[in-house]
Amino acid sequence: MLANNGVPPSLCSVMSFDSQCQLSNQLLFPSTLNYGFVKVTRKVKVSRHKVNFWESIRSGFLKDSTTQVIEESPTIEEEEEPMPEEFVLIERTQQDGEIEQIIFSSGGDVDIYDLQALCDKVGWPRRPLSKLAAALKNSYVVATLHSVRKAPGSEGIDEKKLIGMARATSDHAFNATIWDVLVDPNYQGQGLGKALVEKIVRALLQRDIGNITLFADSQVVEFYRNLGFQPDPEGIKGMFWYPRY
Amino acid sequence: MGSIAYPSTFMELRWVTTRTKKDKNNNQHPKDLNLKPAATIPVYISTNPSDINPPELRELFRDCNHSCYRFPRLDPEEPVDVDKLRVALSHSCVLVSLFSRPHDCFETDFDGDIESTELSDDGSKKVVPLLGNLMDRLMPVSPSNGKLVGFGRAVSDVGLTASIYDVVVIPSLRRLGIGQMIVRRILRMLTSRDIYDISALCSEDERFFFEACGFGGDILNSTTMMYSKTVATHFGDDQTVKRAGRKLLLVPPLREPFASLNPIDSQS
Repeated sequence: MLANNGVPPSLCSVMSFDSQCQLSNQLLFPSTLNYGFVKVTRKVKVSRHKVNFWESIRSGFLKDSTTQVIEESPTIEEEEEPMPEEFVLIERTQQDGEIEQIIFSSGGDVDIYDLQALCDKVGWPRRPLSKLAAALKNSYVVATLHSVRKAPGSEGIDEKKLIGMARATSDHAFNATIWDVLVDPNYQGQGLGKALVEKIVRALLQRDIGNITLFADSQVVEFYRNLGFQPDPEGIKGMFWYPRY
Repeated sequence: MGSIAYPSTFMELRWVTTRTKKDKNNNQHPKDLNLKPAATIPVYISTNPSDINPPELRELFRDCNHSCYRFPRLDPEEPVDVDKLRVALSHSCVLVSLFSRPHDCFETDFDGDIESTELSDDGSKKVVPLLGNLMDRLMPVSPSNGKLVGFGRAVSDVGLTASIYDVVVIPSLRRLGIGQMIVRRILRMLTSRDIYDISALCSEDERFFFEACGFGGDILNSTTMMYSKTVATHFGDDQTVKRAGRKLLLVPPLREPFASLNPIDSQS
């Protein structure tokens, strides 16, 4: 329930709490530790955004429909995973009145089959689904972009499509590697990939994880350079293991 | 990381053979001709995470002049934060630690006496007579009585990829095959979980070491890139920065979500 009456939607924060949040219990060290993180009461800056009234009602794009509209984020003592965020990145209206929204999400809620289809679309070699699922589950950050189309006047389920993803693995303290950055070819060239990577870098740096690495194919080196990545900085190179049979 | 089952035998005794001292050009120094013949020393390799004591690991990093940051400060920086190290260790999929008996790590001078790395009160190097360590020599080495002399770890998504970090060996025990032993153990742990896409970030010096362990450039010829946007390279207002070793990394600005073109008046 929005707290403001008769006023155009003001800024309020929406946090979607899904099961991805509750991963902290797997850590092995005592909770009395002081991690040396930035010591502010609000560890994560909540992204404030306009909430379309109908969105909060419909919330068809949220898997388990647990959108809670709250005024401010609760103070969490020691969150280990980056707070899942979800917000509308772009919205545009087509000529036929259909509205399309590009939704960014870092909750890691990815349908494996959709992802496989997207990888096919960009031309990547197929990887075993179970491995893919495990990799996503154990990644530190999984950022996704979905496109939601609403035909005017329709009351049914919106058409939601996965159009982009990026993930990063990390040891949660020093090192992180960004893998699998992909955007649907039909949506490329709009800054969506840039948004994905920037978000991930931001999430990592907020956690004081400073060694952010990735392995770029030759055609995307420039793309990452523009985002602040440097090739072979100071002679540091990545090497890969080749088993000798 | 979920419940990763560790194999039942993950602590093993190994032997390494010391060589006579050689310099980088593999020339033997004249005084080395008086050295004892090559000795075989026992080491204890473990993949059990609880064998690792973070403060001791921090000491090892300091003795090896190793930084957890890829762009370490040029001046000797303070040792890494132990709590941060603990976090990193708990999220590493593979942890390998290597122990040896304390006196085996010391350099031996040409008299056959053991030269301690500690300094005695007047500042000169202590020399410990050989026989005094006889009891120590008879005891088998184990993580509880041994000294941590080697380490390596890997971070993985336990599905597709893994990255190896922080492989170090104490200077006095280098060039004995210990580093390779550590890397081989890490590789074995990873391949037993069906992970074959294994990477390692290395500086110029470390490249030869990893090549010897069977690593090479990427088959697909990808370029390694690291985020290094700093205040020095990009100018602007309202910049948030984060320190990572020597670098002050620029945090990408928070993106304002797109404002809807057709705001609907909210009715509550």
